[in-house]
Amino acid sequence: MYSPVKLWRNQKNVQALLGKTGVIVSWTVVRVPPEGFSNQAPYPVVVVDLEDKKRMSVQMVDWEPKHCRIGQRVRVILRRISETSSEGIIPYGVKVKPI
Amino acid sequence: MNISVTGIGITKFGELWGVSPRSMAHEACEAALVDAGLDPSDIDCLIIANMLSGMLGAQEHLGAFFSEELDFFHIPSYKVEGACASGGLAVHTAINSLLGGEYTRVMVLGIEKMTDHKPELVSSALMGAGTNEERLSGLTFPGAYAILAKAHMERYKTTEEQLASVAVKNHYHASLNPKAQFHSLLTVEKVMHSACVADPLRLLDCSPISDGAAAVILQNTENGKRKTEVQIIASQVATDTLGVAQRKSLTTLKATEVAAQKAYRQAHILPKDIQVAEVHDCFTIAEILAMEDLGFFEKGKAAPALVRGETTLGSKQLVVNTSGGLKGCGHPVGATGVKQIVEITQQLRGSAGKRQVNGARIGLTHNVGGSGGTCVVHILKGI
Repeated sequence: MYSPVKLWRNQKNVQALLGKTGVIVSWTVVRVPPEGFSNQAPYPVVVVDLEDKKRMSVQMVDWEPKHCRIGQRVRVILRRISETSSEGIIPYGVKVKPI
Repeated sequence: MNISVTGIGITKFGELWGVSPRSMAHEACEAALVDAGLDPSDIDCLIIANMLSGMLGAQEHLGAFFSEELDFFHIPSYKVEGACASGGLAVHTAINSLLGGEYTRVMVLGIEKMTDHKPELVSSALMGAGTNEERLSGLTFPGAYAILAKAHMERYKTTEEQLASVAVKNHYHASLNPKAQFHSLLTVEKVMHSACVADPLRLLDCSPISDGAAAVILQNTENGKRKTEVQIIASQVATDTLGVAQRKSLTTLKATEVAAQKAYRQAHILPKDIQVAEVHDCFTIAEILAMEDLGFFEKGKAAPALVRGETTLGSKQLVVNTSGGLKGCGHPVGATGVKQIVEITQQLRGSAGKRQVNGARIGLTHNVGGSGGTCVVHILKGI
């Protein structure tokens, strides 16, 4: 599913985002997940306005229901993205956690 | 623009486990040929609308695949893809190729086979319409529209009950459509008690996974050729960012606004001139957004009007999604935009049976790809 080359190319984007903070502008809790995400569901996916005004869709981790609200502040962290097959590369990327 | 709809054909939409894509194509296309009184040799070009045949069925090269299957040997044939807007885009492409003067009659076949595959696989394949960022975030299609719904609820105080009313209306319309996937009536309570898929959207807020095909024959009627009773008087496409998060507004689909305004200008009409519309209700929130962004209601006013029944069959005003929409009729993604043209053509011919909008003269179709990255609007006029 994940091309190692694509993930490698994406690393500079990941580094640029780590540690940034932002505010949730909309959110949902995904209860029927796509392939690879079933052991994480249910999980929130939020749209965040980052401090540099960039807007992104990102999964929220380390969350409680009270964090699912417009206006909640979050920080960008590095996490494993999803499950892969035994031969596949383990994909890491950005998620956010509430602060 | 002198473009007529001269033939229409459609299969039953639903879980058609016993029917192959080849059989669906035959049924829809042969019905369209019979409707138009034409032979396969009268068709100059065949355009296929489809999104998922490669990802789900490992079959691409659909132009040659279906032209062979339908005995349309040697004519130009190719696929047009724009996620769930593939059907509308294929119709737009057909119109442009007719206006170019090379062809006189073009057939558009919208087709999708989705229920052969596991839901997780279909869900992942549909996310091919989104961004890599969205896929890495674990977002699903219902999730993307749920994010739009949350923003709309926050800004305009839209309620989950109002969203549920969209599904109730569209299942009622579908119950009158023999081709629809669902003939069961819903209540707001039943929708509210269905399982949550992506907050605030529940299972019965979502259009189903469906198989189905629809075909139309379009003809250039310039130079005094016979005009038929239904003309396409506007065909417009607009695009926007692929991902939801990159847009300035989470409560408007800008591509809908842009395509609609261009279409009204092209047709020299106003939104109030339209009596019947097929809009892209892939999720209940999508119909509310469409009603506003197409200019039928001010922002925040569509949901209350819908609850009052103003867009339900029998209303004296604009009636929306008489086919049952994507929610009730089903949503075989490549077929949907073509089905919308079929439905509005039936309405303008006065042949829609129990779901006929009396006196319908002008109709609109609204087909969205992804979470709003592509929008296609057509306006049709009866004589």
